[in-house]
Amino acid sequence: MSKEALSIEDKKLVMELFKSSFMLEGCYNYERQQALGYAIAIWPAIKTFYHTKEEQAKALVRHMEIFNTTPHVLTAITGVNAALEKEASTNPDFDTTSINSIKVGLMGPFAGIGDSFFWGTLRIIAVAIGISLAQQGSAFGFILFLLLFNIPHVIIKYYLTAAGYKFGTGLMGNAKESGILQTISKGATIVGLMVVGGMSASMVKLSTPLEVTLGETTFAIQGYLDQIFPLLLPFLYVLGMFGLLKKGVSATWILLITIAVGIIGALIGIF
Amino acid sequence: MYEALIVGLILGGLWFLEKFFGTCMVIRPLVVSPLVGLALGDMQTGVIIGATLELVFMGAIQIGGAVPPDALVGAGLGTAFAILTGQGPEIALTLALPIAILAQSIKVLLFIIRSGFMTPAMKYAAAGDIKKMKMLNYGGLLLQSFMYFAVAFVAIMFGSAAVQSFVDHIPQSIMQGLNVAGGLLPAVGFALLLLPMMNLKNVLYFVFGFILISYLNLPIMAVTICGLVLAFIVTYEKGAANPRMVQVGNSDGEEDLFDE
Repeated sequence: MSKEALSIEDKKLVMELFKSSFMLEGCYNYERQQALGYAIAIWPAIKTFYHTKEEQAKALVRHMEIFNTTPHVLTAITGVNAALEKEASTNPDFDTTSINSIKVGLMGPFAGIGDSFFWGTLRIIAVAIGISLAQQGSAFGFILFLLLFNIPHVIIKYYLTAAGYKFGTGLMGNAKESGILQTISKGATIVGLMVVGGMSASMVKLSTPLEVTLGETTFAIQGYLDQIFPLLLPFLYVLGMFGLLKKGVSATWILLITIAVGIIGALIGIF
Repeated sequence: MYEALIVGLILGGLWFLEKFFGTCMVIRPLVVSPLVGLALGDMQTGVIIGATLELVFMGAIQIGGAVPPDALVGAGLGTAFAILTGQGPEIALTLALPIAILAQSIKVLLFIIRSGFMTPAMKYAAAGDIKKMKMLNYGGLLLQSFMYFAVAFVAIMFGSAAVQSFVDHIPQSIMQGLNVAGGLLPAVGFALLLLPMMNLKNVLYFVFGFILISYLNLPIMAVTICGLVLAFIVTYEKGAANPRMVQVGNSDGEEDLFDE
């Protein structure tokens, strides 16, 4: 990791990335989760490094892919991402799909660390202190709770931006050597695919309450499915949607199909 | 009328602030109840109810895609009914949880509706129109804030008894259908993400990540580390047989890959 201080322009960018990171979940939704908020959060970097409308649009589309992490640690990822965009904007050999792979590789671990620190640790400490005052009837309880949570929240968020940007710059500094970019790109795709596989397993939910009665015994189909391949239905569903997209079916159609499958499936009792 | 309006404004406003300022915890019962109490002229009761409900909703946090019972609506309306009916903190406790579970379904519906926002969002992105994207983001946030305002306003206008019987009479199948659709929708996002990355040659990495969780129940952190190890093996170790890669695989590069 490069330890050099950031230049004035870099500091300005870091500050803008920090400021644009707060509305990550303004439009949170099932289809792309925090994607819109992410594209807006990374915009200062896009604006800085790309100067034609076409390049900016391409970068914005790239960052509209599904994204999900703990909002409080977002800037670590946008920081790294900004350094990658800087490299991509000057190096025509840079494979931009690796930007998304690296993003995906980072969002899982940061969600893990972020959730356990901000939701599990900092919030619990702040609640414990706030509640002890509130139980005595003091209105300062909730004010103290908010301060105890948000002062570290804002400070950590700012420093993570700079740390992420420095880390990304260091990574790209080494990347100048021949062959490293392809290696990073290939490696990032492997990590990215595995993380998306893992997140599909933990976040896509589908099971069936169907039962088959043969003679006197009732068999729960889900039980059999679990024995063959746990979470088989979400697995097939993700791959099925991927297949439809490959065939050229639009994202909007897939969205509508999915809503219909969910509601009709529940009404007729197969899901 | 005044009560319904002010409680609605508090809930809608708090939600706006929560997502305007990076999930800053202003929708927790510890904060919501005292503010509702203050508006209705009994802050003391609000503070006490807030402390109680905070413990009840301790685990109701949104992590990943799962939507928990809605603590904001539960605490806001529970506190308002407790103060308005003069029945004290007990009624807040009995009402808050069922209301929160009902509000959870409304939120699921909203997340589905906002999935529809992604089509214009993609269009604006393709046009490089960041202004419209930001407006859409505000639009989504305002829609949800308004939803909280409307839920609180209507609930308080009808009163606690009506709310209780409404909660009891919602057809189970509708709520179930929304929940199934909500559980399934992340698949669309993941499929879109996979589109440029995955092909027949590397689909097994996806399968590997999936089964690490479906069979082994590993946390996502472990899956990522397995991915890093595998990526290292595939790119560096196997690449070492290739003379070009030996020169490339210097210690600096390796250090950086793992230095996070």
